[in-house]
Amino acid sequence: MKSLLTILATMALLLSGGSAYALVTDLSNKRIEIRYSFNGADLILFGAVGSSAVDPVNDDFDVVIVVRGPEAETVVRQKNKVGPIWVNTDNLSFPSAPGYYAVAASRSLADIASDAVFASYGIGFDHLPILARTSRGLAAPEPEFRAALFRLQASRDLYRQERDDVTHVGEGLFKTDIRLPANVPVGEFLVETFIFKDGGIIARNRIPLTVDKEGFERAAYDFAHGYPFWYGITAVLVALSAGWLAGVLGKK
Amino acid sequence: MPLYLPIAELSMNIFLVIGMGAVVGFLSGMFGVGGGFLMTPLLIFVGVPPAVAVATESNEITAASVSGALAHWRRQGVDVKMGMVLIAGGAVGSFIGAQVFTYLRSLGQVDLMISLAYVLFLGSVGGLMFWESVRAIIRQRKGIVPKPTPREDRHKAWIHALPLKMRFRKSRLYISALLPLGIGMFVGVLAAIMGVGGGFVMVPAMIYLLGMPTNVVVGTSLFQIIFVTALTTIFHSVNTQTVDIFLAVLLLFGAVVGAQVGARMGLRLKAEQLRALLALMVLLVCVKMGFDLVVEPTELFSVGEAGSH
Repeated sequence: MKSLLTILATMALLLSGGSAYALVTDLSNKRIEIRYSFNGADLILFGAVGSSAVDPVNDDFDVVIVVRGPEAETVVRQKNKVGPIWVNTDNLSFPSAPGYYAVAASRSLADIASDAVFASYGIGFDHLPILARTSRGLAAPEPEFRAALFRLQASRDLYRQERDDVTHVGEGLFKTDIRLPANVPVGEFLVETFIFKDGGIIARNRIPLTVDKEGFERAAYDFAHGYPFWYGITAVLVALSAGWLAGVLGKK
Repeated sequence: MPLYLPIAELSMNIFLVIGMGAVVGFLSGMFGVGGGFLMTPLLIFVGVPPAVAVATESNEITAASVSGALAHWRRQGVDVKMGMVLIAGGAVGSFIGAQVFTYLRSLGQVDLMISLAYVLFLGSVGGLMFWESVRAIIRQRKGIVPKPTPREDRHKAWIHALPLKMRFRKSRLYISALLPLGIGMFVGVLAAIMGVGGGFVMVPAMIYLLGMPTNVVVGTSLFQIIFVTALTTIFHSVNTQTVDIFLAVLLLFGAVVGAQVGARMGLRLKAEQLRALLALMVLLVCVKMGFDLVVEPTELFSVGEAGSH
């Protein structure tokens, strides 16, 4: 709560001395830590916008917040019937698909601006620029596979559009909760805020966010990936002693 | 209560995990089987990536086999020499299996291979076991006592023709080392690609192919399972980093409790009835896997990270 007050106080200061359409945003937590009890997290972002020093914004404005997770090569596979069974036959690789992509808005996107505006900024499922690896090099993906990527990632809660709301607190202040599910990838995230007025962008900014495994979880992961042979040996030793212990306890 | 598994990279309910361990442990305690063939499909079914399910289950089987193997060891029920030969074969097999697994995973075909292997092996073993136990039950009802085959006739002629003969005192056998090497290798491949111990193939092979006396069969099988699943765990750790120790330990915890209860239940049933029930369960898993292969999936597409998951 204290940090929240600090954020708000900072914003008020910035707003009072701001130039035209000053935009400030801050996250309640710039570093999300994944620990043993991790079951997803809520990313809370506060922002404030002002039109000038004399006249703080009281007009209507819209906010669109885009959160992008670290990029990773992602493969979409398609099953087809081969003889009597269904087999993965076709696949398409997206070398730099974001591991997480969320679009939160204060109203439905269609009400905020035209499709063309969103397209020019690459905002939203339909406009996010994403390329596939084909025999001709990087190219626009087949629509079927592109749609499947968004549908499947959305079903895993990793791609989200119009599922997280932005609420106006008043006096140019706004706030949003964006859900990071438990299966969120670790790495560097980027939180971009766009302020729309009369269908056009009047201000934007971006702040970084880090999601990382911490403590024991981090150590276990680093051990498994950095020293896989010794991790395997450890796994075997743990199994042998746990099995032996279980046998001893089981007899009693 | 959710628990984040750092290697599987997903959050699972801790009670679900222990509960699954307990149910499979109960069944394996009742039927005296390892339970890998139940646990791996179950893990995949609740959403654990197949590669993690197979590799982690190998690790759990190592643990689950230790106490049984120790008990048989104390009763002199382990033919160490035979076990060593089986392990040598198993090491090669599990290495090959892990390589094939890693390769098919990069092609996106590992799920298919796991399903096909389950349908094929569970189908044939379950079918044979079911047929054999039903026949035994019918015979018993009719009061027919089958004639025991004399020990000299246990092996087919081609088995005696194999080179590299070796003496196994404990099993009272003088046979070619190639036979147990081959069986061990085959089971090693299965262990690496199916996430099983392979007892369901090993035990019948020891009895019917090798002609080992029944008092050393289970102990020797468990002895070799410990080593082969341990090697499989290491191979999978090195190749794909998919062994989740925490998941394995939680499953084991449930399995230990479940197995105690199951073993007591098992005592109330006759051996033939147990075998028939086990065979039905094996066939059930096989049918479920086969069904999923044949029926048109509701979602034809799937998504995965290249090189992992």
